[in-house]
Amino acid sequence: MYYFFWMKLLIAEDEISLQQSIVTYLERDGNVCECASNYEEAIYKVSLYDYDVIILDVNLVTGSGLEVLKQLKKEKKKAGVIIISANNSLNDKLEGLDLGADDYITKPFHLAELNSRIKAVLRRGKFGGDENIVFNEIRVDTGAKSAYVLDKPLTLTRKEYDLLLFFITNKNRILSKEIIAEHLWGDNSDLADNFDFIYVHINNLRKKLTSEGAKYIKTAYGSGYKFTEE
Amino acid sequence: MRKASKSFLWASMLLMVLSTIALFFYVRWLLEQEVEEELFSAEARIESALSAGQHPSSLAPIIEINEVDELKTPFTKDTVIYDPSQDEMELFRELSTYKRINNKSYKISVRVLVVETNQILWAIILSYIVIIFLVFVFQFYLNKSSNKKIWNPFFHNLEQMKKFSLLSKEPIQLLDSEILEFSELNKEIALLTGKVRDDYENLKQYTEDVSHELQTPLAIIQAKIENIINDQTVTEVQFNQLASIQKDIQRLTQLNKRLALLTKLENHQFTHRANIDITDLIAQIISNFNEISTISLTFEKASNIMANIDPYLAEILCNNIISNAIKHSSHRKPINIEAKDMVLSVYNYGPTPIVNPQYLFTRFYRENKEFKSTGLGLAIVKKICELYGYEITYAYINEHHCFSIDFGSTKSTRKLSS
Repeated sequence: MYYFFWMKLLIAEDEISLQQSIVTYLERDGNVCECASNYEEAIYKVSLYDYDVIILDVNLVTGSGLEVLKQLKKEKKKAGVIIISANNSLNDKLEGLDLGADDYITKPFHLAELNSRIKAVLRRGKFGGDENIVFNEIRVDTGAKSAYVLDKPLTLTRKEYDLLLFFITNKNRILSKEIIAEHLWGDNSDLADNFDFIYVHINNLRKKLTSEGAKYIKTAYGSGYKFTEE
Repeated sequence: MRKASKSFLWASMLLMVLSTIALFFYVRWLLEQEVEEELFSAEARIESALSAGQHPSSLAPIIEINEVDELKTPFTKDTVIYDPSQDEMELFRELSTYKRINNKSYKISVRVLVVETNQILWAIILSYIVIIFLVFVFQFYLNKSSNKKIWNPFFHNLEQMKKFSLLSKEPIQLLDSEILEFSELNKEIALLTGKVRDDYENLKQYTEDVSHELQTPLAIIQAKIENIINDQTVTEVQFNQLASIQKDIQRLTQLNKRLALLTKLENHQFTHRANIDITDLIAQIISNFNEISTISLTFEKASNIMANIDPYLAEILCNNIISNAIKHSSHRKPINIEAKDMVLSVYNYGPTPIVNPQYLFTRFYRENKEFKSTGLGLAIVKKICELYGYEITYAYINEHHCFSIDFGSTKSTRKLSS
């Protein structure tokens, strides 16, 4: 089984620079990305086509992304929705989630982070969160939060499991230490950075995988990482 | 106003006493003059009657005419004589003159009952006092009620100003007054409060806008860096530089987030409250930090700490105070956290005390420049404590920095002042 099938995505973002960067990143996996640069375009495309995941900016230049979300729910579309907002307020987040969004991400974000959220939303939507992600001999059971190499269970800490999932969802991409730290520790990632504690986690995971013969975590440019079979 | 009416009271009292005394002496003098005049005119009449050969009969005690051997100098005196008509001893004013008329020497004594004039004197003084007192009382109350009416808008407006808060959207409600000075004052107050509110709103909006507007460009920069890295055409040096830019973007993002949080705290935008077990929260945060940091965190829980606080802020408060200790813990020595009697204390090792403890909670103050922190963590801690009235203290004990938050001390929530 190879689970990274391509998705059809809509990116509703009025900042063209950001929109195109997201498209570039996501299309590497062979996903199909369509764009909407304003409210009307978003409403039009949402009502006309079906998408797996819609990435929705709250502040579209001519209207609110939340209105698009309402429209989507009214038409009972099954697309997963990730809201992007420049506003870090808890209320906005809750409002978006109340309206039926699947996730909420605040600007600025890492594209790798967005990608991993998209995959998570897709898993939840299509498989009720219970899915096996397979990468060659590695299998990650997202329901039981456990990982296997050739069906032999790996003993991973919570963070190591998170890290493995993050690597697999962003395979073939270079992940800097900063991106990984922020994914694992959010606002506290600056603390981890002070002690280079990130190395400990990555090295532990790498050792556990390597001992089972799965040598996929590669160092890139000295300080970055890449999960790849090359 | 009270002071004005008090001084008015004293002045009128003084005036009343002085005028009464003056009146008393003046009237007494007038009456004495009158009596004297009466005595002299009666004496003159008797004298002329005597010289006309008539002999008016004595009318004791009012008039007494006696023949005497020798003439003496005339005198006036007060004397107490028995008055048969009243059947009692009475005070008289007496004028005795010695006159030689038709070769006979007479002593003519004329007397006037002084009691009567005394009574007149007292009657005048008394009625004066009564009148002036009544006038005074009347005026006092009239003044007071009119003052009340005049000052009422002033006091109302004063109350309004005391209640004035930048947070309420309502403009200040001032009572209009007929007094020119007051209505001018009102105009100025309305203008001033309006301006203060506008400025405040602008500042608030500005901070919000800035933090808001910064996010999108940051997002663009970050996204582009990620794409550049993945283009596989960069050198290692370039990669490291890009990674360093990512780090700086992260710092900027943190700074932005914390500034926005501080602004929200200052605007009192956190109104949600729940009962939070701080000790539970600390235990949870410690387990989170254990995943990040190799520094050991010990937690001594003598008693539970419960606080009525916004859950989100509670987490930030505990997180910031512990992460501050982790950041500044020298020599990777363990950090001790204690919960006892509603006081949460965090100890971390430091070989030297802090140079400027008074600036500890100031924004952007960094004791040690080598830490790349936002310089806002403790300022946020302080603000949250202020918001809920918790007391936060710093002490340097046995080579340890100690921050204590007293969740028991809930002073009344402060007004918006700073």
